[in-house]
Amino acid sequence: MISILSAKFRLFLRNPWMVIIMSIVCIAMASIIGASSEKKIKVPVASTLASHETNELLQSLNKSPSFRFELMEKSKMHTLVEEGKVEAGIELSNHDFTLLITSQTGNTFFLRQYVQKVYSEKEQANAIATHAHIPVEKAIHIVNEAKEHPAFTVKTMNFRGKHAAIIDSQMQPIFGFSLFFVIYTVAFQVLQLLKEKREGVWNRMILSRLKKWEIYTGNLLYSFMIGYLQIVLIFSVFRFGLGIRFHGQFAELLILLVPYVFSIVAFSMLLVGLVKNEQQFQALISLLAVSMAMIGGAYWPLEIVSSNVLLALAKIVPLTYGMELLKGAAVYGRSITELLYPMSILFFMGVVFMGIGINLVERKNS
Amino acid sequence: MLEAVELTKQFKQTKAVDRVNLYLEQGEIVGLLGPNGAGKSTTISMLSTLIPPSSGDVRFHQKSTLKNPAMLRNALGIVPQELALYSDLSAKENLRFFGSIHRLSGAQLQKKVEEVLALIGLTDRQNDLVKHFSGGMKRRLNIGAALLHEPKLLIMDEPTVGIDPQSRNYILETVKRLNEEKQMTVLYTSHYMEEVEFLCDRIYIMDKGCIIASGTTNEIKNILSAEHTVEIKVEKLTEPFLHALHAQPVIRHIAVQDRVITMLSPKEVNIFRLLFQLAEQTDTVLMSIEMKTPTLEDVFLHLTGRALRD
Repeated sequence: MISILSAKFRLFLRNPWMVIIMSIVCIAMASIIGASSEKKIKVPVASTLASHETNELLQSLNKSPSFRFELMEKSKMHTLVEEGKVEAGIELSNHDFTLLITSQTGNTFFLRQYVQKVYSEKEQANAIATHAHIPVEKAIHIVNEAKEHPAFTVKTMNFRGKHAAIIDSQMQPIFGFSLFFVIYTVAFQVLQLLKEKREGVWNRMILSRLKKWEIYTGNLLYSFMIGYLQIVLIFSVFRFGLGIRFHGQFAELLILLVPYVFSIVAFSMLLVGLVKNEQQFQALISLLAVSMAMIGGAYWPLEIVSSNVLLALAKIVPLTYGMELLKGAAVYGRSITELLYPMSILFFMGVVFMGIGINLVERKNS
Repeated sequence: MLEAVELTKQFKQTKAVDRVNLYLEQGEIVGLLGPNGAGKSTTISMLSTLIPPSSGDVRFHQKSTLKNPAMLRNALGIVPQELALYSDLSAKENLRFFGSIHRLSGAQLQKKVEEVLALIGLTDRQNDLVKHFSGGMKRRLNIGAALLHEPKLLIMDEPTVGIDPQSRNYILETVKRLNEEKQMTVLYTSHYMEEVEFLCDRIYIMDKGCIIASGTTNEIKNILSAEHTVEIKVEKLTEPFLHALHAQPVIRHIAVQDRVITMLSPKEVNIFRLLFQLAEQTDTVLMSIEMKTPTLEDVFLHLTGRALRD
């Protein structure tokens, strides 16, 4: 078994490009889709303040994770709002502001709250500066210090209904694309079994002193390791390269990937047992991987799917349970114990697929 | 040493191998000759325990291998028709892998790899990737991979397909050396009769899943001891001349290639007089007439009515 693993890894190092390209495409897709769903809302701003005061205020406003404030002429700002090209515009004054809106929406409500907060902080700093006879910059510094080291720690908790859905637009594409692309990586490693059979390498192994279980384990363990490594690499790029914290569940997520990758290896083995040649395998895996991604919630969250047929189909797709595990841990904050159900389903699927797949391959041999 | 008893393999409606009986004695080279599709590869797969027979038995040292193939497998080296190698590994890495699956390791593996590389003449190219090798070099490595564990019995399935004459000679000489120096028993299948004639002590001729003749090269050629192979070259091949030849009861198995007509005729018949008469009657100009001792190819033609490489 070790000799098979060693030869396979040597072969992988000679030609790692498929896995690298798959990983890059996956990272790119997840980043692009994640970034587009995270896009900030543009808010045009006009000001009656002096230029340095306007700039200071804009700097504070642009710390928002949701809005992007852009300074422009008052007339232009009015035109944009009137023509409905933006949801709202703001006119900044010394102690207050004017909010122009096209209609009352959730965004305009949050915008008003946010600008009010920035203004009240500004006024607070001004008041401290006036009373303490210190410069405004020092007052702002004191306020920021006090915020970082508050006298009282307020812990905020919320609760939700058992079936309440949380859609995390940053995690969804990372999880979805990682689980989708790894299907191809694993499948094309398992496919090597068919190639080795056609070329006679498999027969050499059968006639050697290796036990049959060692041949299967060596080949399938290698496919598992390559698939697992690919997802670890992708997650690591997001965690350590792009600073995405996975809600503090990075290590747990890596453990939760094990049953999913195992089930995909087994699924690929089932396909190897079902098809007659490599061409059939390639055609089938392309079709099934995309279908599984759509049904299993890799492209869009299953939470927004209302069709009962699709939801029923999702129950027989490993990817559904893979997404459930990852989102369960990272987005819904569930513990490993709470995630035992999808884990068990994946292991069960893996054992069944693997059993049938190996059986079919052995039958073909005889 | 190895014996096939009434070996049969049925694939759905097709009987690929039909009640084949053959045996190999220790230290001999036995040829299995037959055209493509004769059932040679299926027979070899059953003999090497890769596929089970539909009926019949394979015995190694008088013991059936159907239930317990391990003893035969440990003594067996197989050279498949396909290039069973990893093309992205070097020659040395391939040999190390195929040695390690036979539980060779450390210094023993290193020694065997070096020995085999020298035997197949690839020591200088041991670190080159197989995908950069010529067809002949790949074939030699394909043989080398079967020799690492010093098998007592080597089964070779058309090991010289698609290679240049120089590499073919190298392979044939290597097989001969292995047999002479290491007393390795060899079952050699081919549809090149000259290879089988050069290498083998005994020959089995197979066609359509059956053994149709067996014996030493001379015994098989003697099947045609009462006949001549006649080869005629004509200036221009004409239909009337061919018709006239076919109409003669003493002429059999007529084969035509370009302007050369090959046929079998009994030794007691004065074939020259007959051929001149037919040429005159059909206005055919004879360029040459050659009488030959029958070859294995002729025997095959005689037995099946087809050429070996049809």
